[in-house]
Formats: sequence, C-alpha cells, structure tokens
Amino acid sequence: MSGAKQRMREKKLSKQPASVQYTSSPLNSSQSGGSRNGRGTPMAGRHSSSYGASPGGPSDRGGWVRGHQKDGGDYEEELPKYITAAAFAVARASEVQAMLKAVTKVTGSCHVLGAIPKHMRRRAMSHNTKRLPCRLREVANRMREKSLEAGPKKKEQPKNKSRKARRRHGNLLLEFNRRQRKNVWLETHIWHAKRFHMLKKWGYCLGNRPTSKCYRACYRAMSNHCLLQDLSYYCCIELQGDEDKLLACLSQLTSKETGPTFAAVLTLSGQRQGSTTVYRAGQYPSQPLGPVTFLWRPRTPGSSHRQLWIWAHPALKQNLFPELQSVCQCREPIIPVVAPVVTPAEPTPSPPHPGPRQVEKTPGAKRKRSARDDDAPPGKKILGDGTRPPSAPVTWTSASTGILINDLTMEIVRYRLIGPQSHAVLTEALEAATDCDAVSKAQASPLWWPQHCKDQAQMTLHRQQAEVFQTLKGIYSTGEVPPGTVLGLNVEDPRLALPQKRTQALSIVTAEQDVDEKRRELMLKGVPEHCCQSSLWDRFVRDNVTDNKLSEQEINRRKREVLVPGSRLSPTPLQSRVPVLMVHQPGKQVGQEMSGWGAGWDLLLPKGWGMAFWVPLVYRGVRIGGLKMSLKHSQNKGAPHFPHDFPDCPAGVCFQREQETELLNKFKRRPPAKRTNYVKHGCLAPFRCPWQQLVEEWELITSEATEVGSSAERRGQSRGEPGVRPGPATAAPSSFSVLRSRKSLKLLSSWCRPTTSKGQRSLRAREQAPLDAASGAAFLTTHVRAVAWVRLSLLSKGRPELHAQVCVATQEDLQRLGNKEAAYSGPLEHPHKDRFKSKVKRRKKGNKKAAPAQTSSTTLPTSKASDPDPPLAPAACSLHPTSVSSGAVLRQTSASPSCPPAPAKGPSSSCAASPTNLVLGLWPDPLPSVTSHCSRVTLGWVTQGDFSLSAGCGEALGLVSLEGLVHTLMAQPAEQRGLVLLRNPSALHYRWAKINVEA
Amino acid sequence: MTEARTPGAAALPQTPLMAADSSLPSVEMDPVEYTLRKRLPRKLPKRRNDVYVNMKTDFRAQLARCQKLLEGGGHREICVHGLGLAINRAINIALQLQASSQGALQLAANTSTVELVDDLEPDDPDEAGEPMTRTRNNSAIHIKVYYPSPQ
Repeated sequence: MSGAKQRMREKKLSKQPASVQYTSSPLNSSQSGGSRNGRGTPMAGRHSSSYGASPGGPSDRGGWVRGHQKDGGDYEEELPKYITAAAFAVARASEVQAMLKAVTKVTGSCHVLGAIPKHMRRRAMSHNTKRLPCRLREVANRMREKSLEAGPKKKEQPKNKSRKARRRHGNLLLEFNRRQRKNVWLETHIWHAKRFHMLKKWGYCLGNRPTSKCYRACYRAMSNHCLLQDLSYYCCIELQGDEDKLLACLSQLTSKETGPTFAAVLTLSGQRQGSTTVYRAGQYPSQPLGPVTFLWRPRTPGSSHRQLWIWAHPALKQNLFPELQSVCQCREPIIPVVAPVVTPAEPTPSPPHPGPRQVEKTPGAKRKRSARDDDAPPGKKILGDGTRPPSAPVTWTSASTGILINDLTMEIVRYRLIGPQSHAVLTEALEAATDCDAVSKAQASPLWWPQHCKDQAQMTLHRQQAEVFQTLKGIYSTGEVPPGTVLGLNVEDPRLALPQKRTQALSIVTAEQDVDEKRRELMLKGVPEHCCQSSLWDRFVRDNVTDNKLSEQEINRRKREVLVPGSRLSPTPLQSRVPVLMVHQPGKQVGQEMSGWGAGWDLLLPKGWGMAFWVPLVYRGVRIGGLKMSLKHSQNKGAPHFPHDFPDCPAGVCFQREQETELLNKFKRRPPAKRTNYVKHGCLAPFRCPWQQLVEEWELITSEATEVGSSAERRGQSRGEPGVRPGPATAAPSSFSVLRSRKSLKLLSSWCRPTTSKGQRSLRAREQAPLDAASGAAFLTTHVRAVAWVRLSLLSKGRPELHAQVCVATQEDLQRLGNKEAAYSGPLEHPHKDRFKSKVKRRKKGNKKAAPAQTSSTTLPTSKASDPDPPLAPAACSLHPTSVSSGAVLRQTSASPSCPPAPAKGPSSSCAASPTNLVLGLWPDPLPSVTSHCSRVTLGWVTQGDFSLSAGCGEALGLVSLEGLVHTLMAQPAEQRGLVLLRNPSALHYRWAKINVEA
Repeated sequence: MTEARTPGAAALPQTPLMAADSSLPSVEMDPVEYTLRKRLPRKLPKRRNDVYVNMKTDFRAQLARCQKLLEGGGHREICVHGLGLAINRAINIALQLQASSQGALQLAANTSTVELVDDLEPDDPDEAGEPMTRTRNNSAIHIKVYYPSPQ
C-alpha cells in the first residue's frame, strides 16, 4: 500500500466519531481512539488487515478472498473482528451503482404488460390500452403501433366466409353434417353440447356429465322426482319372420339357465319388455356377448308373422349383428333404393354429400343462388345414422328361414326417465291424440293420422290406450307398475302445449272409487295385451311422421297468431300426431334395501322428433343426466353396467383396454414425485384387472389343496409358475366366464349370507344345500374358471375405488373383528419395497449420459443376469386355502413384501425384454402372482365403487374368483360368513366389507 | 357390525323368499319354480306431520323426529303410521311421546288393512311359466298424537 493512500485513509478515518471503536482481537487491545485502530501499518499482522480496507487489492491475500485460492489455500482461523464502515461503503458503492442501474433499466424483452403485477392484469389489455394504468399507457400505445406495423406483414389467414355467412342456416347444417361424419350426433346433441362435457365414444358424441355441479341433485332427482337421459345411441335391431323360426334361431344365442329368454311367455305376447344375456351361438356358458333388452310386437290375430326389436349397446352391436346374421342365415342384403328425392319416405337418410359438393363447384357469387336453385335444400339435416353411406344395406334377408333382419340404428329415439315421478312427467308432457274432424277424414291425405282415424278398430284401440294413460296419472310411484310394462300410444305434438315456465310435474293421486279400480287393475295386471300395440312398429308410419313434422319455425309462426299468448295451439295441425311406445324399466330388483329404486319409463319416438319431445320434458322439471349418471344409476341399482362390468365379453375386454390406457396416460401426466407409487402399496395392476391370471392362480391353489401328498418340489414348481407365465393377454382372450346361471347364483347367495343376522328371518323357508366340502366341490366342478359378480357393502368407513382389491381375511382378522374392538376397522398392509425405483433412475441416468437407448438396454440385462435364480412368487400361493387364514401363514406372507428378492425377480427378466414400459410406481408387465402378492390373499377386484347415497355407506360392485369365494366361505365360521377385506389401490388399509351375491 | 348394516325385517319388503330348489338333481321337483319379488307398499301423499315408521332406522332417531315435529315444528298433531312389523314400534313411539309430555299429549289410534302386491316370476320361463301377481293384506296402524284443543 502506498503512502499516499494510507494518508488518505487516515484522513478519512480521522472523521470517525470517537465512540466507534474496534477491537481486532481480545489480546490486541487498541483502545486509543479512532485514528489508531491497530492496523495502521501493513506490518500489523495478517489477521488485522480488514476487509474493507483493501478495495482494489486482490493481491492482498490477507483479506477475504472469494473462492478457493491455490497458493494461499489456508484460510485464517479467525474472521476479521471489525470493519470500517466508510471504507466498506466505498467499496460497495460501485456495486450499488450497478444494482441501481439494473433496477431502473428496462431489459430488452420486457413488455409493458409484464411490468404490472399479476392482480392488476386484465383481459385483452394489449388490445385496449385504456385497461392499463395511466402511467403505462403511452408505452403500450407505442408498442401497439409498432406491432400493428409489423402485423400486416404476416400472412392473414384467408377466411372465405364471413361469420354471418357461416352461421346461416344451410351453411351451418353443412358444417354440422361434416362434423358428424365420424361420430354421429344424437338429435339432442346441440342441447347437450351447450350443457355437458361431451365424449366421443362408440361412434357417437355423448354427454358425459353436466358442466354444472349436480351430482347430488341428479341423485335426488332419481330417487324423488325424475332424471332424463337420451339413450338414442342404443342400437335397435329388428327381426321379422315366423315366430317359431325366430325363436328357434334365437334360442341358440341364449340359455334358459341365465333367466328368461326371448321365448318367455309374457314378453312373447308383447306385454312386457324382456332382457337377457346373449352368447355366441351354442357357446353357453363361454363366450358371452352381452346383455340385451328386447320387445316383441304384439301378435296380429291370424298371423304367425312376428316382429322383434332387440336393443343393444353400440359396443355390443358390432359383435351381436354378425352373430344374428349367421344364426338366422340372413346373408342376402337388400340394397336400398338410393334416393330419388321425390319419395320422402325413403328410409335411409338422404346423403349429406351432394350439398357441399355442389357448393364447392360453383365459385364466387353464384354459390348461393345455385344452391338455392337446387330442388334439394343445400344442407339437409341428418336424421338417423349419417356415418353410413346411403347405399349401404340395412336390411338382410334369408331365403331358407324367411327371416328379415333390419338395422334400425338411430331410427328410433329412446329417452329414459328414471325416478318415481317419471310417469307424472310423461302424463303431463304428453297428451293422447285427439280425433281428427270429419272434413279431413273424408279427403284423402298423405298423412297417416287421418287414415288411421278412418279405421274404427284402430280408434277404439286408441281410446283404450288413452284411458290407460289417464289411469297412469293416478299412480303415486312409478315402481307400482308391473316391471317391464309396455304401453303404445298416439300423442299430440308436445310443443303445442309447452308451458311458459319450467315447472315440477307431480302426480295427482285421487281417491275416487272408479279410478281406484282401474288403477288397481293396472298395478296388478299391467297394460292389457292389445294396448301394447303401436303404430311405431310400422315403418311407413314412422317415416311419414318423420317427414311431415312441422318445423320449429312453423310452430312458432302459428303460436304467434294465437290470440292469447302462451295458450295452447288449436286446432291441432294434422301433422302433429305421433305414435310412441312407453316401456317401463324395472328398478332395483336385487338385494334387500331400496327395492324398486330407480324404476322409470323409456319413451320411444320416431326419429326426427327428438327435440320436439325433449324440450317439453325438460320443461316438466326433470334433471338431465349423462353417461356418468347412468353408471351411477346401475351402481345404485346393484346391476352390472354394460361395458364396464362384463370383462368376459369382447366389448368389455375392449373397454378395459381403453380404460387402462386412459388411466395410464393420466397417471403419466402427473409429475413423478406426485405419483402414487403403486409398487409400494402392493398393488400390482392399478389400472386393469388380470382376471385370467386370477382365475388360473386360484385353480392352482385349489388343486394343490386337494392334492395333500404333493411333494415340496412340485409345490415349488407350481409356485414359480405364475411368475414365469407370459402375460395373460397372450393366452386365449377370455377363457374365464362370469357366473350367470340363476340357480347357481341363488345357491351361492344363500351361502354368502351370515346365518345369524337379523336379515336371516326371511330365509328360514329356504331349503338349500348347506355349504360343506362336498357341495362346494360339486358346485365348483360345474363352474370351472368362473368369476362371480358380487356387491360389496362396507361395514364401517371407507369409499371403495376403481380396481380396489377384494381380499380374504385371515383367522386373526376375523377374531379381532369378533371381539368388537371399537377402534378396529381392519388390518394394515405393510408398505412394500419398490425394487424398480432404482432401475428407473439408473435407466434415466443412462439415457441422459449416453443418448442411445442401446447402452442402457445392454447394461440392464447384465445387471439382471447377476441374480440367476428362477422367479419365485411369494409363498402364500401354494398354501392350502383353508389354512391360508392361519397365523403362521400370515406371518409368512406378511414377511414376503419385506423380503425383497421374491417379488422382484419375476419382473426383472421382463423389463430387460421391454425396457420402455418401466414406469415409476408401476409393476412392469408380466406380473408376479396376483393372489399372493400382499399379506391377504386376493379374491378379485372392484369394477365400480363409490359412496352409495342410497345405502349410506361405501358400496362396490366387483368380481371375485368363484373358487376363491367358495373356499373362503367354507373356511369362515358361520356367523362371519361372507366377510372380506377391501383395499383401495392407493391405500394400505384394509376395510371390512360384506359380500352379497344377488340372484 | 354386520347387524348394523343388514336391515331388520321390516315393513319394507325383502326380496327373495321362496326360492329354487337345490341344484342337486332331486327327483321330485316342483314343476314351476317362482321367485318372489315384493313390490313396495303403495305410498300416499305425505304431509309434513306424517311419520312413517320403519324397522331400519334407529328407534331413538324416529322418536326424536316426532318430538321435534311436536315441539320445534309447531305442529299441534302428528300422525304416526306403522305397517306390519312396524306396528309395534309405532305404538311404542306414540306411547313414549305421551309419557314424555307429562300427559299433555293424547293419542287416537286407527287400524287399517293395506293391500300389498307380490310378483311371482317363474324361474323356468319357457315351460309353464306365467308370471303371477298376487295380493295379500297386511295390517297397519295410524296413531294421531295431538295436543287436545283448550276449551
């Protein structure tokens, strides 16, 4: 340090107040004032050189030095004891300067909008600068101008039509038709699209759930009032032919064991709607297709020609239709006559394509006019199935059997009303058609109603039907009507009497003697047979009604002319009589609580009339439900829902695959740190249910149970097998089946009930075979590789989720439950160890390091080769199922998750084969033994589960292995029979649940 | 725990009563087997002061509900209805109400007969099975619990 500098410092320091003193060290007592602070000379020692004193001297190694210094590596033992404020400030001055500069200076990318704090930002600020605070407006204006200058250089997206043109009716229709080429819209699509989250499923656009919050409101509507759903996406297949031949053909598809078939007496007469499960021809009990409902047209006297409608889910239709064709030998298609436009009664919808093509051809200003000049309107609304090419056949016939199959998909609109007041809604919204006056009757008319009126027999029938319909008003609840009742009716256009306001329709119960008699008859006998007839069965009537529907515009025009605004339109226009069919849907028929819950009516309409009936129904105060609500409906009803709960049907398999990818994608979208680690929870397949594997493993377990003297060696082999087995998907797709035989289900259900519960009172009359080893074995031999639907209701807390595990309780668990410990709500699963985590990480690192994936895949097998011993499933697999619940087993099995080698090996070989499907938190593909992976043996999985608002506890519908179930029941004491444990995939807590098998 | 969930046999119907024979091939079998499904008893419009007693809900809860109606609800009279097995409970509730009111409440009981409907579904549909509907009668009680009007 030079002398001049030192002098300067001394001068500065002389201005320090005298009270400020620094002590460099306890030893160095320099208390002689501010001017002498012990570091006057450079010789004062290393430790005395202060930090602030050497602003520009990097060579001064005595001060604080940033970073690691090579030569003077060792730091001082003691930090400087004092610093000089002024010097310190001077040293920082430049830094502060820089900082201030940085703060004030606007960086290059900074936008005006970015300068405002978040809470002050508004929508479209850059568009309208007045939304900005004053002080920023000027800058923003400047920037806006700049961007405007730059803007036009970008190529403007050419829009050939103005919005007004696009919204013009014809053009809008063309656009709509284009948009439903792939996924058909229902007639209520636009109504739904405004209010629902739409899903594209099974070739349709369907409302999934409303955008508003109304889960509970919808439930209340179902249990107290009425919930409306559009089920038009259900496919109707019409069969025509001689009754005997039809029955002979159809009997191949069904089995009497599963319940009433197509030939059941009441349904055959047309009085009731029937439902049955359809199998591939002659394949019962394997290869089921799915459930269908069906409706016979009542017999016309003196003719054996019958008409049958089979209603099937669209996912089922693609399997069912070829099956029906082959069964009925209907191979010859009748190609529909394509469309001279003059015949409006053409069944196939006129094609949407000619319109757009013509528009494209004629360019410019002529476009509009030329389109108008065409005798066809430019865009015709698609009615019926628009995805089908117009020339595709919809009808097939057979020369040998004389049966005619007709695909009526989207030809009939089907609305479902669920709830005790649904009949009230119907009776209020609909009105039996009035007779037409003599004048219109006399003259020939292209409309169907005047002609219908001429026939005296038809009119008496109509009057009788109207009378029944009147009686329906006096019923208190929809559940009072015999289940499946059918009522045909001709009604007036409900738009004519649309109320001004949305009101709640309620039933009016009167106690008049006369009405009471009729009501009683309706309740006991249902609708008389001849009243089930309807003109809706008649294709010509249907088409006539569809084509001659008054447009909304026309109705509104006529309404405007009515003298009293809002009053009913009269006289009724001739066109507005519609034949409909009302079909009663039975409510909950199984189980003991809430019987009759969720009963309702289905309303069948000719196509094209969808919205005309929808809005009036909505105006009667119904709630609208989507797909989700229909799932909840069937769940509360305790009925399996079609694609979800039918894993043995092709549609169900397909659904499960889709569901798995969907859930997996959702899972992968979460950041890895926020994902549930299912491996740790001991959940092998959280997104799907390996039914096949489950059934096979239980078969193994039981077979071992019977072979008492099997050697340990064999046991070891069989133990190993589940791990080695290639994925169950590679085996035959569904060699297991769901138990549907009524008799067996009844037997099983009687076994499941605890014998000492209060609910037992009603069962005393039953003489069923008691459950013992012999009857159990006999039962199982008749049903190999079967799973059974069970309804599980939780005993205490808990909300079962999708794919929750159903597990067997051990003896200890049952004992603890029997002791009535208040706090005991179920055992806990020990957390498993995630063996794959390190592998996932290692692979990730490997990928990062050496970009090609080959390196990582080559390193992986070598790491695996180090553990050569064969895959070993946990020990419980081989256990005697009756001894499964013993304490020793429990300890053994509960030890297995904590000892890592067992579960880890099976998959290790797999992830070498396919390193890509290793996802953190999931088991890679070939799963180890699914039954014995956890401390409790798995019986099955839950396919739907939720808190049930009707039962007031968690309820689930699931499938369990039949063998497992029977053996579990046998092992349990009589008073605790049917108790199982339920564990969610993302939880470790087992909850107690009661199994109910419903027959 | 199990008992808590399984409902007591109640005024509400329980579904399967008469059921199929065992699956074992027995020589003598009833030619037509039926499944019995009971429909719900006919409901009538309900005023606010009507209480339908059942066997599923806890007794105390039902009693409390009646008391609330009489005291907090401002009703001068309530009607307690019981059907079948629940008659006993309905009477119990009414008597308890009277006892707890120190004689301020009076009772007026009426009995009636309610017609119930059962559906009999044939298990073997194709042979003889004509589904049947039968009616049977059950007793019901309607107890009016009221404060006598002051003269």
